[in-house]
Amino acid sequence: MAVRLDYVLKETGSNLVRNLTLTLASLLTVAIALAFVAVSFLIGTGINQSFLGLRSDVQMFVYMNPGATADQIDSVNKSLESNPQVESVKFLDKEKTYAEFKRLFADQPDFVESINPEELPQSFRVKPTSTDADVVSAVGTEFENMTGVYRVEYAEEYARQVQKSLSTLNSWVRLFGVALIFVSVLLIFNTIRTAVFARRREIEVMRLVGASNWFIRLPFMTEGMVQGLLGALAAAGLTWGFDALWKRNFVNQVSFELLNQIKWTGGDLWKAIIMILVVGAVTGAVGSGIAVGRYLRV
Amino acid sequence: MKFVEHTGQETVIKLENVSKIYKGEHMALRDATVEIEKGEFVFLVGPSGSGKSTFLRLLNREETAEKGKIYVAGKDIAALPGYKVPYLRRNIGSVFQDFKLLPNKTVAENVAFALEAIGRPKSVIREAVPQILELVGLGRKEGSMPNELSGGEQQRVSIARAFVNRPLILLADEPTGNLDPATSVGIMKLLDRINRTGTTVVMATHDRGIVDTMRRRVIELDRGSVVRDQARGVYE
Repeated sequence: MAVRLDYVLKETGSNLVRNLTLTLASLLTVAIALAFVAVSFLIGTGINQSFLGLRSDVQMFVYMNPGATADQIDSVNKSLESNPQVESVKFLDKEKTYAEFKRLFADQPDFVESINPEELPQSFRVKPTSTDADVVSAVGTEFENMTGVYRVEYAEEYARQVQKSLSTLNSWVRLFGVALIFVSVLLIFNTIRTAVFARRREIEVMRLVGASNWFIRLPFMTEGMVQGLLGALAAAGLTWGFDALWKRNFVNQVSFELLNQIKWTGGDLWKAIIMILVVGAVTGAVGSGIAVGRYLRV
Repeated sequence: MKFVEHTGQETVIKLENVSKIYKGEHMALRDATVEIEKGEFVFLVGPSGSGKSTFLRLLNREETAEKGKIYVAGKDIAALPGYKVPYLRRNIGSVFQDFKLLPNKTVAENVAFALEAIGRPKSVIREAVPQILELVGLGRKEGSMPNELSGGEQQRVSIARAFVNRPLILLADEPTGNLDPATSVGIMKLLDRINRTGTTVVMATHDRGIVDTMRRRVIELDRGSVVRDQARGVYE
């Protein structure tokens, strides 16, 4: 027995309009919850990307003794270049080191004046292949004991801290997102359950006259789907607004040290919007199907 | 599912040693064995809680029996898979004491709803609804809302809804329970008329006057047991 489309549409429409206040209230709550889901997804993505950016900066410095011979420097250079854990090596000779030194202490000309370029250690700036802080420090230890090496300094502590706090932050955001998806599902489900409860007499009559379960269920499911979709559309609007605000206020604004690193692409924005549309539609339809099921037991 | 119709007398309802137990203790129906033929008019009588409503609810599988077999139109209804139960109910009209009309639909819409719900085309609905409203004597009230009608009129709407699909069986659970005696007579005349079209009517009632006047088959229940089954019987 085919279920007539015009019947389903008529029922869906009239039920959404009949419970207008309830529909609007649930639309708003769903919209806000789904918007939070999308926003936490975007921030999570942004953090992940900024994380990658920071990690590629993790470097290691191998400082030579000021009196290191050319042979010693050459030998360290060779073993660095042949080390499989090392991606690239840059040698900073005395002049380059001095130039860097002058740049770093440009605001303290007296201090710069007092330094003789000859006294500055030459160094290798090493970029390891792995970004894992453990691997970086292992490579560093290896070179610490070579002749002519004064000391190895690496961004180990800094890298570790950044890595740790960012991954903690990221998992919080993710957890928050998952919790919000759960909340939206419950909200949609609850609204529809209220609507179904309000119409239990109608369902009872339908059952008595021999309406098939799908015939009873379908208008509720389309109703739930429309509600979920509308909520998600409103949420998409909110997300889009958030995206614009974030870009204008934080991204590439030098004044926000950490926040300006958290950014995402237009593609990520679309991904987030499609995700909440799907979540809204599916939970709306499935949720109401389940909510009606209680009254369909034969 | 097809309900085969033969000519001549034919069993449409058959209960074989049926027991219904609620929550593992209360026996609503106790080893009941009853056969009802096509076109019969049967009164179910007995005090409150004697199992009359359970008897009716078992027939359209609102409830299932713990013991025994129930056949409707020759089919063992306990063996029906869930998705076929609606098709069983399309052959059974139900009328209740509280009418169960939808308050936000007009008289015509309430009746049409029963046809819409089983997927009947609009053309059929447009024709059948005025026809059945005429039959139950509400030809002029099709646009009224249920709360604008008297109790008797509301019950007529509910009978129209139950009968519009021309079911094989009409189950009525205290259909006159909320109505005054004069109105009840009108409802009984209507049910009698429906019965004469060949529809089997099973009616649970407390109304001694109606039972004694109509002199139809009476099945008396007491604490779930069939204690009397009498052709052309009286209330007591």
